[in-house]
Amino acid sequence: MNRFSSAVPDNEYLADSNVLFYLSDAVSQLLEHKEEYTHVGVIRYFAEYFSSVKNSNHVLFREYSYVTATPHNRASFIRVFWRCYRHIGKSGALLSMLEYRSLLQLLCPDFPLKPVQSAARIVLMDDAVDYLMSFSDFLFAFQLQFYYKEFLDSVLEIYQDLLAGKNPNTVIVPTSTEQLPLVAAEESDREQQQDGVEPSTLAQCVEAFCDRFKHSHPPRSCMRGVLEQTNRISYHSFLLSLAKHEAINQAIGALPNKSEFLIDPEMDQELDKLIAQISVSPGSNSSGSAVGGLKEMLQRKASPRRNIHHRRRIEGESDGSTEETDSSEN
Amino acid sequence: MADKEKRRSGAAPPGMPDGKATKSDCDKEFLSQAGVGELLRGAILKMVEARSDDPIGFLADHFCNLASVTEPGTAGCGDADQMNNGPQSAQEQQHLNRALWHLRLAHHSQRSAFSNNVCVAYDLLNSTGPRRRAADVPECPEGSCNDSQTEVGGGVRGGLYTQTLQCLCSEGGVPASTSAPLLRRLHCQDHEAVPYDVFRHGVLTCAVFSDYIRQAQRLYAEVCCPDEGPASRALGMAVLGTLREALETSQGSEANCCVNANTTSNSCLEANVKAKRYLEASAKISPYKLGQAMATAQTRGPGGDMDAKEFENAAAELFITRVKVLS
Repeated sequence: MNRFSSAVPDNEYLADSNVLFYLSDAVSQLLEHKEEYTHVGVIRYFAEYFSSVKNSNHVLFREYSYVTATPHNRASFIRVFWRCYRHIGKSGALLSMLEYRSLLQLLCPDFPLKPVQSAARIVLMDDAVDYLMSFSDFLFAFQLQFYYKEFLDSVLEIYQDLLAGKNPNTVIVPTSTEQLPLVAAEESDREQQQDGVEPSTLAQCVEAFCDRFKHSHPPRSCMRGVLEQTNRISYHSFLLSLAKHEAINQAIGALPNKSEFLIDPEMDQELDKLIAQISVSPGSNSSGSAVGGLKEMLQRKASPRRNIHHRRRIEGESDGSTEETDSSEN
Repeated sequence: MADKEKRRSGAAPPGMPDGKATKSDCDKEFLSQAGVGELLRGAILKMVEARSDDPIGFLADHFCNLASVTEPGTAGCGDADQMNNGPQSAQEQQHLNRALWHLRLAHHSQRSAFSNNVCVAYDLLNSTGPRRRAADVPECPEGSCNDSQTEVGGGVRGGLYTQTLQCLCSEGGVPASTSAPLLRRLHCQDHEAVPYDVFRHGVLTCAVFSDYIRQAQRLYAEVCCPDEGPASRALGMAVLGTLREALETSQGSEANCCVNANTTSNSCLEANVKAKRYLEASAKISPYKLGQAMATAQTRGPGGDMDAKEFENAAAELFITRVKVLS
């Protein structure tokens, strides 16, 4: 009970909670699938909609714009991604950036290439299409990139300004203390541009930026900690450290800590059952049934309301497209 | 209502086909036929009233609860409390769960919301009881009780009332042994019909008591250092003594208030007196006073230790002795 904050006006309370966003989405989903829900009952529909939002199942098979719309949706998507493909990490398989994108597209049909590329760049330091990554490396880089996309984009701008010898903060926050970083930035510019920037300068700029940034950003203490460790930092190494930072992982709250994130006896049981079913079922070659099994598992995790609608779409898509053909898009 | 509808259609995802007048008309008709506007308006009002920290969870529970009411036979979304205290009809159990759900909605410090919820809960429990003569229909002080339902019951059965209070205390994190003396004071016979104001008094007392016990538990945690075992008896007694003194001061105001209850002319003065008493009381339990008491206690107080349970019981007793016994 948030009884001490009753001074906050009602409309602010509503705006802070993203509740109106979910209500409007619930209504438009209801209208889109009217026939399916009239016999279930409208109240039961809303009950299921909000239960699935609460349980983080609501983002499965939804469009990209919905998946990224709120911090809760992003965290839910990261969690769903981890839950569905954990066994890849367990088996120790290495996959390429495009293969990871295909996996993401099974969960969100219109998942674009760019965020996957950015995540891969954190792991690989490179735009190479066919380099292989482990599941955990990719997952944590993807988590950082996906959850804090807007923030990281802005930090990149700040970083590039610093590299170019400008201090972005001197323009926006003209205080006397900001004179110091300007000098530092100029010095670093003289030395060498490729090696990154002075961490303390970047730290100050990022701090000042956090003050005016409206969306979510990683905890300041984590960023400060990362920036205090080295005496030279590049954008890439900054992101890599953040991706590996356990406290940031906890702040997002979608994944368990790194040592435990592959352990899940329940899922193992389910997988064993699935495998047993596959080996019994006649007339299916091994690769086809593995995909089918995976799909079945995804369907079971999905919120009930999306199942019928998306099953057709998903099957239609993944049947035709192998992982390699995806590069033709974008 | 109309502008809300507009806002929604404006916020529809870009993937939706738009610009078709026939479709939007059809949608509007569908929504109004299904009563979606009313449904959502009620949900938002409830949510704003309760100010839950987890609005999504709140809405999920709210709609689950509504769905279980409208679809008899299905019991909520599977997380309804199961308490089997003797033989009871399933319907009565369901009503009890729903009444408790209503009581949980708002904290008791949000007076109007809490009063409304108590009223709803009372009506719910009342409608399950055996039919009684309409003669002993209680008066609702708030005037907001549903008339048709009060006629049916004539009062919540005492058994149900006791059960409600027990559940409230245990949900509030109060151990049964601590709440038992309080419940004895608030007790009504199982066959009695409990009028609204008694019901409200009982529920409010239990809610405040749960808060109080939680505070007392926190207080003990502050006094004792976890690595050094239980707190010393001297410190515990000092804290409790300060607490008692403060409570006595604040209660003086209530006695005073009761005497003048009927004279409306000097209600302003009375409120001033009351406020002054509360200020005095809070000054008596200020960190400074408490620190002083603890410092003196540390030098010359009784020896030995005091464990958490003992402290909790002593604190509970301070509260319970100030609760009137129901005759």
